[in-house]
Amino acid sequence: MVRSTASAPATVRTTWSAARARTRADAAPGERRSAAYLYILPALAFYGLFVLAPFGHSIALSFFDYDGISPGSWIGLANYKELLADSQTRGAFVHALVLVVFYAALPVAIGLLLAASLSRTRVRGLAWFRTVLFLPQIIPLVVVAVIWRYIYAPGEGPLNEALRATGLSGLARPWLGDFSWALPAVGIVGTWVQYGLCMVLFIAGVQKIPTSLYDAARVDGAGALNEFLAVTLPNLRNEIAVALTLTIIASLRNFDLIYLTTQGGPGNATSVPAFEVYNQAFEVGRVGFASAIGVTLALIIFAITIGVNRIAEARS
Amino acid sequence: MTGRGDRAVNYVILASFSLIALYPVAGIVLAAFQPPGSAAGGFSLPSELHLANFAEAWTQGHFASYLRSSLIVAVSVVFVSTLVSIMSGYAFGTMTFAGNKVLFYLFLLGLMVPLEGLVIPLYFDLRALSLTDTYWALILPQIGLSVAFGTFWMRAFFLATPRSLIEAAAIDGARRWSILWRVLVPFARPAVLTMMVLIFMWTWNEFLLALVMVSSESLRTAPLGLAFFQGQHVSDVRLLAAGAVIVALPVVVVYIFLQRHFIRGMISGSVVG
Amino acid sequence: MATVRFEGAGKRFGGVDALVDLHLDIEDGELAVLVGPSGSGKTTALRLLAGLESITSGHVWIGDKQVDALPPRDRDIAMVFQDYALYPQMTVYKNLAFGLRMRKVAPGDIDGQVLTAAKTLGLEDLLERRPRELSGGQRQRVALGRALVRQPQVFLMDEPLSNLDAKLRTQTRVEIARIQREFGITTVYVTHDQIEAMTLGRRVAVMRDGRLQQFDSPKGLYDRPANLFVASFIGSPAMNITEGSLEHAGDGLAIAFGDHRLAVGRPESRPDDGIGAYAGRKVLLGIRPEAMADASLALGTPEDRRMTVRVELREDVGSDVYAYFEGGPPVSNPGLAESPTGDDDEAGGNRRRTFVARLSPQSKAREGDAIQIAINDRALFFFDPDTGVRIG
Repeated sequence: MVRSTASAPATVRTTWSAARARTRADAAPGERRSAAYLYILPALAFYGLFVLAPFGHSIALSFFDYDGISPGSWIGLANYKELLADSQTRGAFVHALVLVVFYAALPVAIGLLLAASLSRTRVRGLAWFRTVLFLPQIIPLVVVAVIWRYIYAPGEGPLNEALRATGLSGLARPWLGDFSWALPAVGIVGTWVQYGLCMVLFIAGVQKIPTSLYDAARVDGAGALNEFLAVTLPNLRNEIAVALTLTIIASLRNFDLIYLTTQGGPGNATSVPAFEVYNQAFEVGRVGFASAIGVTLALIIFAITIGVNRIAEARS
Repeated sequence: MTGRGDRAVNYVILASFSLIALYPVAGIVLAAFQPPGSAAGGFSLPSELHLANFAEAWTQGHFASYLRSSLIVAVSVVFVSTLVSIMSGYAFGTMTFAGNKVLFYLFLLGLMVPLEGLVIPLYFDLRALSLTDTYWALILPQIGLSVAFGTFWMRAFFLATPRSLIEAAAIDGARRWSILWRVLVPFARPAVLTMMVLIFMWTWNEFLLALVMVSSESLRTAPLGLAFFQGQHVSDVRLLAAGAVIVALPVVVVYIFLQRHFIRGMISGSVVG
Repeated sequence: MATVRFEGAGKRFGGVDALVDLHLDIEDGELAVLVGPSGSGKTTALRLLAGLESITSGHVWIGDKQVDALPPRDRDIAMVFQDYALYPQMTVYKNLAFGLRMRKVAPGDIDGQVLTAAKTLGLEDLLERRPRELSGGQRQRVALGRALVRQPQVFLMDEPLSNLDAKLRTQTRVEIARIQREFGITTVYVTHDQIEAMTLGRRVAVMRDGRLQQFDSPKGLYDRPANLFVASFIGSPAMNITEGSLEHAGDGLAIAFGDHRLAVGRPESRPDDGIGAYAGRKVLLGIRPEAMADASLALGTPEDRRMTVRVELREDVGSDVYAYFEGGPPVSNPGLAESPTGDDDEAGGNRRRTFVARLSPQSKAREGDAIQIAINDRALFFFDPDTGVRIG
């Protein structure tokens, strides 16, 4: 589960001005500046000890060859070089890229479809729909994995049952055990989990667009498609940025799902960086290498968060 | 061309995607009620509501113990994170001090760092301190991660609070501590509740950390317990389904009652700050 | 003794001076008003007094204590905010009691003091309500009550009436004046509305761009404005300003502006203040609309105190008739206050083209008519065109 919210990307943008405004004024009389540090101390302690320090430690570990038992040896950037060179690990990152399509691109597209439709007329009872659509985001990924593993089950899984029932039994197969289909199958699960988030985000976004913009477009003779491209899409830029950030991060942090459905298999068909971090560290015993993967994953997430935000900032 | 046609299209889209979201969930809930030996595959309506599945999963699967562990961890994390985040958010959002900006950006980093980037050294460090396979190994790191979010969240709220409210309290004689707990926190109830609800969900659903840190059965949290349960009952879907429902139920119940907070919290996007 | 004194007080934010060298002495029990446009420094001065901002130069005194370094809670002051700043989750009773609780007043005494304050402001029936259930006017009274209940040395009020509608504003203004008089608490009141300032203040400090322009009684500001800004800021409609040349006329002076020429009298309130030194030079002339009369109703006005004008616009509001006409060349001077009614020309900002006269409702002047306006020659104001300082 992604432990961040849509607000995270937006803050990168807004904290600049807010922080600047605060630090410009000096303290009022009687205010001991040092007291502020006491208020921050507990948070900083937990955060520093259990997040920052371990992350730093990760970076350090990534430069070592370490098996978790005997002392490690310094190997510099060798782990990273291997990361880029080794076809297996590269494969994991390629799979992650494929999953980005399922976790991010598809859900965003579905969300935009709804946004386009909603922009033309308002609908009542949105609250109820929102509750249901958002449900997949709430359910523990472990439960999601259990559900879908059953759905994909070769024997009595609902999917194959339905295919057989509609005379398409030729299509029935062991989805999660199929070399070509395992990754897309996992991807579909991701789509199922994420599209509700996008829909809810875009519903909220569309409701903020003043109808006068649409009226103006209509008067100018714009058809439905043009309305979408000229009014809806540009005004949803923030929401799209947020949706992309959250969904892409979710696609990278899908350890739970992979572990419980395919364990990276069959073979390496569904290996992903998040799983490899665990796998390499605790199954294979290459802690340094695993750390390198973890650090790389973190860096990619940083880059995406900041990158998507920069683009959204620049355009808005 | 607005009107009936468009509205109908809206409803169709909303309804169909809602159905798609609901179907797998409903399916597994129904499966949890299947009586044993029903050869019916796929998702089908159970012939009777066989509640014994839940009892069986509960006892056979030790879900009582798993839920208890999850509860202990979640409540501890929520409680401590909330208190600590309110304090730090208050400082960042209302006080002037050197390093306000820099320290806050440091916290922002925590919103982006994935657990996968931390879990390995966390394991080895905690093992060195003999803390692995204890509740501490689950509680402490999750507090760390939660306060990054909590600080950012409460700071945003306090920044948006009218200055005059804080100034009025200061003139009335309240010191900073009193202003926070007597004036601002009662005012901040919805925001605090949202934060608590989100931290609860993230903590309850956490799997990787539990998998890495915990080996003894008595400490297994619910998601971890379910994973083990699946390992044992792959073929018997009704028990598995019952277990899944048990694990998901607390979060879903909280969600149904407080969904506004969940949704608003997670998508507050550009509104915040 | 709760006097308030600003001694060379100044406040600098980053690179900007919000307040510069303020010297002000407010007497015990006085209601002093700080008035000025936004950015004038009036709110900054108030916040320095409150202790909500730290002073960057000079000192502030309350009574005989220098309070520069004291936090607000140690200054024995109370403040009423523009947005009321009531504690949203507390009942009215708790709102009023909060300050007393913070100061560890004995619970028995708290009750008595809260009820007394509630009674003074007519809040007895509202004590169990929450702020969100109250109207704007009620909320403002609770804010006043909260300040009153602590019987502080000084009341501070930051535009307390700005968020109220016009009728409520007048009512509450009267209420504030009554309470201030009854309890005799020194009050510093900030507003941008000059009418509020003139009606409430025993003395009024006119401020602009962080500097004090003049601190005087309302009558003093009206009769003896220190400079162009004060003259054009006080009074509604604003004073008519134009440019003219001061000439010798017989054994006195006359002012020629536009197509007109008026004799300059020697008013009692402003005996020889050196205006003679400006004879033969260009000066700025100010005439208040209320100093003009329809000459046909003021028979006997000598020729050299009349203006012949063509009425461009006539506004009849029942109690008065406003006549607009061409007075003299428009003036664009940084010393001018911006017209609140917006009758400035586009580009120049502070230009005044048209004069306005407030005539008796009996005046029969119609649009297009050529009429004569009688000027009270003792009601002429003269300003140095470069400094804006009043010279006569």
